[in-house]
Amino acid sequence: MDVTQHAKPPRAMFLPFMMGHLFGVPHHNQLQRQILLTLLDRITAAQQSGDIFFFDYTWAQARKEAKQLAK
Amino acid sequence: MTESSDSKELRPGLWQTVNDRYPGSMISNTDLVPLALLSKPLSQSRICFVSTSGVQPKNTLPFDTVHPVGDYSFRRVPSDSRPDDLEIHQLKYPTFGAKEDLNVIFPIQRLQELVTEGVIGGLTKNFYAFIGYNMDPERLRDTLAKDLAAAIAQEKPDAVIAAPA
Repeated sequence: MDVTQHAKPPRAMFLPFMMGHLFGVPHHNQLQRQILLTLLDRITAAQQSGDIFFFDYTWAQARKEAKQLAK
Repeated sequence: MTESSDSKELRPGLWQTVNDRYPGSMISNTDLVPLALLSKPLSQSRICFVSTSGVQPKNTLPFDTVHPVGDYSFRRVPSDSRPDDLEIHQLKYPTFGAKEDLNVIFPIQRLQELVTEGVIGGLTKNFYAFIGYNMDPERLRDTLAKDLAAAIAQEKPDAVIAAPA
C-alpha cells in the first residue's frame, strides 16, 4: 500500500493479494467479478483525490476458496 | 511474511525496501491530481484497462524482459480477445495463477461479461499492457507514460482501470 501512497493516484483500491494475482485466484469468477464491481463503484464513490480503498479479503481466504473450486 | 502475520498487507514497506536496494527507482509524487468525475452512468461508460502484466497478443514483438533498465514500450490488446489469443512476457512476478486463468491478472473475460450484462456501457477497442520492470522513473514518465496516455486518449474512454501486476 505504501507504493500506492507514494504514487498518489486519484483513486485506488488496495488488494492484499500475492503479486501476479491482483484479481484473485484461478477460475474464481465470482471473486474476480466482485473485485471489478468494487473498483468500478469506487469511480463514483471516491469523494476526494488520493482515495485508497482497502478491499477487505484475505489471500488465505482466496486460496482456500480456490482449493474448494478445484475439487 | 506469512499468512499468519497480523499485517493486512503481504509485503508492507515495499516502497522503502525497493528504493533502498535500487536508489531512485521508485516513483514518489508530491501532489495529488484533481479528481475527474464520470460524466455519465457506468452503464453508459466506455472502460479501458491498462496493465503492467506484460500480457500481449500472440505473435507480437515480445517485451524485452531481460534488458537491465527495462522495456519502455507498450502493446495494444484488442478488448474482444480470448485468453487463448494472449500470452505473457514478464519475469518479475509469479505467473502460475495467470497461466491457469489469465483473468487473475488481466480480467478480460470478466470485463466482457460486465458489458454483456449492461453493468458497463462498453470497452475501448483496445486494452493496453507494458511490463512493470522499468528502473528509470523519469524515462518512464517522459516516454512510456506520455505515449500510453496519448494512445488511450484516442480511444476516448470514460474511465480507465490501471492495474499493477
